[in-house]
Amino acid sequence: MVATRPTTKLDTSRHNRRLARRLAEDPEFKAEYERQQRAIAAIDAIVNQLDALRAAHALSKAELARAIDKNPASVRRLLTAKGNPELATVVAMADALDADVLVVPRKKSTGRRRAATRLG
Amino acid sequence: MPQRASADVEPPELDSARLPGRLASAAAWRGIVYYADATGEAPAETFLDACPAKVDATFNAVLEAVRAAPPPAFSGGGKWEAMHGTMAGYYEVRVTGPGRRHYRLFCILDNGTKQELAERGFAAPQIAVINGMVKPNAALFSDREYKKHVRALGDDYLARLPRPIAE
Repeated sequence: MVATRPTTKLDTSRHNRRLARRLAEDPEFKAEYERQQRAIAAIDAIVNQLDALRAAHALSKAELARAIDKNPASVRRLLTAKGNPELATVVAMADALDADVLVVPRKKSTGRRRAATRLG
Repeated sequence: MPQRASADVEPPELDSARLPGRLASAAAWRGIVYYADATGEAPAETFLDACPAKVDATFNAVLEAVRAAPPPAFSGGGKWEAMHGTMAGYYEVRVTGPGRRHYRLFCILDNGTKQELAERGFAAPQIAVINGMVKPNAALFSDREYKKHVRALGDDYLARLPRPIAE
């Protein structure tokens, strides 16, 4: 028989309550929260989509970097953690102009993509 | 004095409702909690209450994005980062505020088996928000500051069952 410690179920709703209150009581908070939600969703979508396409082309991050004559560290940064200030600026500008930034995969493979794949 | 949340406010369903489908379904399973010290105060909440509204809003938007799509997915728009060295195991949310002051919020991803989570008082993994700090442009936090204002609190959080959180 396995001994288990007694458990206490904590109320984890404090953050939800605080966020709901801030959204309800402060128009400046609400506007910025919604603007940041759009920006974060756009940046995350672009980065995750580029990384998924990289994986679909069976390219490592270093191979992708070589294919575009960039330092591997800069591609790693973009696709892992630190983000990209220029991308954030482009997304913010598009949002201010009531537009979205999208990555649209081409339907047919091109010479450039084949060349990139050969590097792998 | 930090403002207290009133218990009769509904949770913000807006957040997950606005997210794309995959993220909305994930939003239900991870929570966000604030560490509470021995006096019952939540340093991170006190910090957020003292932040400019836009900084507070950005912190919340990043936390909600990470709640919806936790690591290893890229989430948080580049403002959520794993820390290294003596701060390994912590994540920071990085926001630049008025006067190019740098606001930082320090978090732990509290995950485990169902039994481990139950012993901690949780039904699901949590983003535990420990504390926040602010610094002028180009300044660095010292390891002493990290230890005093983040790691000491994080160690206390991780050492206790159930977890010490603000309820």
